[in-house]
Amino acid sequence: MTLLTLLHAELRKLLTLPSLRLTVLLTVAVALLLASLDAAQPVRYVQAGFLVLGVLATASEHQGGDQIRATLLAMPRRLPLYAAKVVALAAVTLPVAALVALHSTTHLTLTTLLAAAAGTLVRRAEAAVVLLLVVYYVGPLLRTTYAPDTTAVATGTLLAVAAAAYVFHRRDA
Amino acid sequence: MSAFRWAVAAEVRKLLGLPTAWIGIVLGTLLAPVIVLLNAPYIRRSIDDGTITDTSDLGLQDLGVGLIGPMVLGVVIISSEYTNTGHDAPRARQLTATLAAVPGRLRLLAAKTTALVLVAATQAAVTAAAALTLTEALHGDRVSAPAPGRVAAAVLYWTLIALLSFAITLITRNGIVPLTFLIVNSTVVSVSYLLTKVTDAAAYLPDIVGAQMFLHTPDFPVRIAPVTAGLVMTAWIAALLTVGAALFHRRDP
Repeated sequence: MTLLTLLHAELRKLLTLPSLRLTVLLTVAVALLLASLDAAQPVRYVQAGFLVLGVLATASEHQGGDQIRATLLAMPRRLPLYAAKVVALAAVTLPVAALVALHSTTHLTLTTLLAAAAGTLVRRAEAAVVLLLVVYYVGPLLRTTYAPDTTAVATGTLLAVAAAAYVFHRRDA
Repeated sequence: MSAFRWAVAAEVRKLLGLPTAWIGIVLGTLLAPVIVLLNAPYIRRSIDDGTITDTSDLGLQDLGVGLIGPMVLGVVIISSEYTNTGHDAPRARQLTATLAAVPGRLRLLAAKTTALVLVAATQAAVTAAAALTLTEALHGDRVSAPAPGRVAAAVLYWTLIALLSFAITLITRNGIVPLTFLIVNSTVVSVSYLLTKVTDAAAYLPDIVGAQMFLHTPDFPVRIAPVTAGLVMTAWIAALLTVGAALFHRRDP
């Protein structure tokens, strides 16, 4: 399987999953509502939608009929497969993030990839979402300053994706 | 034991067998006391320089962060029934087996509701006791302990939040969306709270109105008496549960 067909397959899976479409629709709807309410820092609300998007993109393959087995049968080399998953998700997320909050595109895309890594590690969508929401929304209360700078998010995402790729490579499907 | 008590016992065991439920139990119980502990130096300074005048909300107001517990419990007790279960049975849902064991659907819902109330109220009592004992230990005679009635109201609020999450998920049959909305809404970026800035009617949303049962914080747009607040929140939940039960009774599993 060439890299391009691999990427194409992952993109099609993402674009045709109903739960992802619903998540994107709800996120955009909430963004519009917040804009009409004139909310301060709308990104802090809508990033929850991107967390769900990332988790569902990976965790859905491990739930409900085990799609992951079919995926691995078609593409047994797991690291290139995981790389294709990350690239495809980034490609799908970028335009949505730009649409929802242009100046926070990087933050939202990185957040989605971090959530995708969590989805791979935990393999249960609800559990992964709860853990991520605690990190993103309750975590700031535990520290004295709230400073989610892009460098920190990028580092966290990089580490999480590396860990997820390693685990995906080693663990039984 | 009567058949209903068996059904309740089964639902409690099923709930406590879910890994995701345990995330809610552990985090929900620990977060509030941890916040009390971490905020202690700041609170002590605020009391000393007079920023905080009504100290009877301390301890109780920190319970809010633990609401993630009843929310997770309320959602997963029903969403787990709809999650696909098997490696070898792609379309199988736990609900099929549950209904085979307890065919009376309203009876099943009653058992689930009872099980949820038992688990959530226990968690609420433990968390409230921990947060208040810790507040007392850390601040001593600086704070006045809240009246027992307010502590009971806080436990009731916690339990009603679990039922609210349950009722919403019963209608949506999907856990992720309600869970995300409820958890985000319970934090500093609350959409309900945002709406209270737009219209006073938002003060009657279930999560906002219910807090007036036990908090004195003057940050509410409309002051509502504790008993009225409790009745409004209960009415919301009764209405949502009725809709959920009617759907559950009629829909294919």
